[in-house]
Amino acid sequence: MSLTLSVTNLFLLLGIFTVVVVTIFLFEFRRVRTSLMLRESEMTRRMYQLSILREIGERIGYSLKIEHIIEVIVGSLRRLLEYSTVAYMLLSTSPEGKARITFNLNVERPVHPKFIEGVKRTMLGSLNTLMGKEFTLEDIDETISGTITDPTAAESIGSFFNVPIVIDSSPIGLLNISDPSTGKYRHKEVEILFTIMSQASDAVSKLERVLKIEKGKLNSMVESMADGVLMIDRLKQLSVINPAARRMLGLQSEHPTIFEVLDALANQFDLRTRLEESMEHDKLIVAPAITINGHFLQILVSPVKDESKSFLGAVVLFHDITKEKELEKMREDFTSMMVHELRSPLTGIKSIAGLLTSDKVKTDAQKYNQFVGLISTNSQDMLELVNDLLDVAKLESGKFQLIKKVADISSVIETRVNSFKTLAEQTNITLSAKIDPQVPKALEFDEHKITQVLNNFISNAIKFTRTGGSIVVSAFLLPQGKDLAQQVVEQSLVWPGIKKGIMLGSDALVVAITDSGLGIPQSQIPQLFNKFVQLENAARSEKKGTGLGLVISKGIMEAHQGTIGVFSEEGEGSTFYLTLPVGPQVLK
Amino acid sequence: MGDKKKILVVEDEEILLAALQEELNQGGYETLGAGDGEEGLKKVKEFKPDLILLDLVMPKMDGMTTLKHLKDDTASRDIPVVILTNLSDYERISEALSLGAKDYLVKANYSLNDLMDKVKSVIARGSQAPTS
Repeated sequence: MSLTLSVTNLFLLLGIFTVVVVTIFLFEFRRVRTSLMLRESEMTRRMYQLSILREIGERIGYSLKIEHIIEVIVGSLRRLLEYSTVAYMLLSTSPEGKARITFNLNVERPVHPKFIEGVKRTMLGSLNTLMGKEFTLEDIDETISGTITDPTAAESIGSFFNVPIVIDSSPIGLLNISDPSTGKYRHKEVEILFTIMSQASDAVSKLERVLKIEKGKLNSMVESMADGVLMIDRLKQLSVINPAARRMLGLQSEHPTIFEVLDALANQFDLRTRLEESMEHDKLIVAPAITINGHFLQILVSPVKDESKSFLGAVVLFHDITKEKELEKMREDFTSMMVHELRSPLTGIKSIAGLLTSDKVKTDAQKYNQFVGLISTNSQDMLELVNDLLDVAKLESGKFQLIKKVADISSVIETRVNSFKTLAEQTNITLSAKIDPQVPKALEFDEHKITQVLNNFISNAIKFTRTGGSIVVSAFLLPQGKDLAQQVVEQSLVWPGIKKGIMLGSDALVVAITDSGLGIPQSQIPQLFNKFVQLENAARSEKKGTGLGLVISKGIMEAHQGTIGVFSEEGEGSTFYLTLPVGPQVLK
Repeated sequence: MGDKKKILVVEDEEILLAALQEELNQGGYETLGAGDGEEGLKKVKEFKPDLILLDLVMPKMDGMTTLKHLKDDTASRDIPVVILTNLSDYERISEALSLGAKDYLVKANYSLNDLMDKVKSVIARGSQAPTS
């Protein structure tokens, strides 16, 4: 009996145990299942969120209109949430420029008309609070879509929530979800919608910023272009004109019209016809240069099309070729001066040579000698001209070579002064040298070329100094960064017209030729080194020579990494100087 | 000597001036040279030439200005002028012709015969009344 009992008890115990285990198991199973299901729904939501964001991302590529993006979000919401209405309010501007509110409501499940009215008022209140504005129902342009309203349905809103729409950290509207049943929206759902909205806003903000930067870049590029740019839209209206174009066309107003542009070009360029031609035949038109306000302008007209090949308008480019034209004229002048400089003496030589064979000249010894002398000096002049031209050509083609050797600049200067002494004395000019004792005995330079520069400086000085005047050849060191004007004073030299502001990047030797001559007008100084101007002047001047000496001297000094410069005062005299960099050890 | 026609040559290129003068002298003309426009105008007054050969590109006063002065002065207005030019610049030549120059001689490729023919025909025409 006790055994039976115990067996029964055993079974009972086993049964109870099983029940407990099964119950626990069932409970545990439910718990696990619930948590699994929760996780799954979480995953589903997450997937929705991602797919919506992806969809937004894709559509953003096509349109930056926030309304479209919100429509995408709204269209996808029903997969995520249960609601009766979804609505958004966005700030907009009426054609008259007044601030308006776009209200868009979609009825998902039938509601009472009063329910919609309630949503509208709720949203308006929230929007005013959010924006700090006082919009009224009159400011709203509404669009209601979706299912029809039902007079028997619930009138009052049980649950709702608002999500602000923010672009670039400023609110521009509101999204609203409403339902008649109460306690519908839990924290989690609201949070998801917030996340979607804020990420969408973020994406739009970023894109807008990028677009703004790109547009800004494009604008500033067009604004700062040296060429004049006009953009003309399909309706032949002026949509863009940059400052260069306004300046070239002489337009005063900040925002000129197409008519002002056409007027400015009138009689010179038929822009209207060219625009039509360009758009009709879809081709770039390059017009020959026209002259406006003393400038030569080349005009290009090009049609502008979008991706689908439809015309958006045209771009007109004004390219100022005045400089090129001036250069062309200089070259022509140069050629005609060359003709004068070479052909005249050559013609003379030919004629004189012809006359030498005539009996009259043959028998007249004085005339014969005079003519032979003329041939000799003219050939010499022509040879010098050809040499100068070859030097300039070499300098310009970079084929100018220096043969640098260590030499004593002081003795080079003294030799020059001695060789010019006789010529100077002929016109009663005193020529002297003033070499600072600190000038090193051994410097590296091309002795032959530096001699050429000094010859040029000294012979010019003699040419332009009146009888009884004086010429001083000076040499001294100029430490790096020290003002030349200061050093000249410390060397007890007087350079007419000297100005402060010449400082060098390294220690240098300065050799200068100062005369008490006519001086050079300030405006002519830059032209001394322009070969075109120099040749033209030379041809018109009574002084012999090509005028290319300074152009060549500048080239020689630049080949030495040195410089060349001029100071002058009209009526007082001029100083031409060269600087030759010396190694830093020299000054120590 | 007295019936020799007188020619003033205004030319800044010394060698060319010498050549032209010698050629004209050998051709039986009496010549005087001037190195620029200013000198030329001065010598017109003293020398009273029958013909002036005038270069265009010169220092001090160029040929075009000299020509204007010559035509402005009643004393020199009727002296025929032949322009000496090196420029293949037809605008300048036609400008000089419109200012009253009778003819022109391109220096670069003139021959002795050209020079003599021009001088002879212009002096012959010079005795007639000016055309413009």
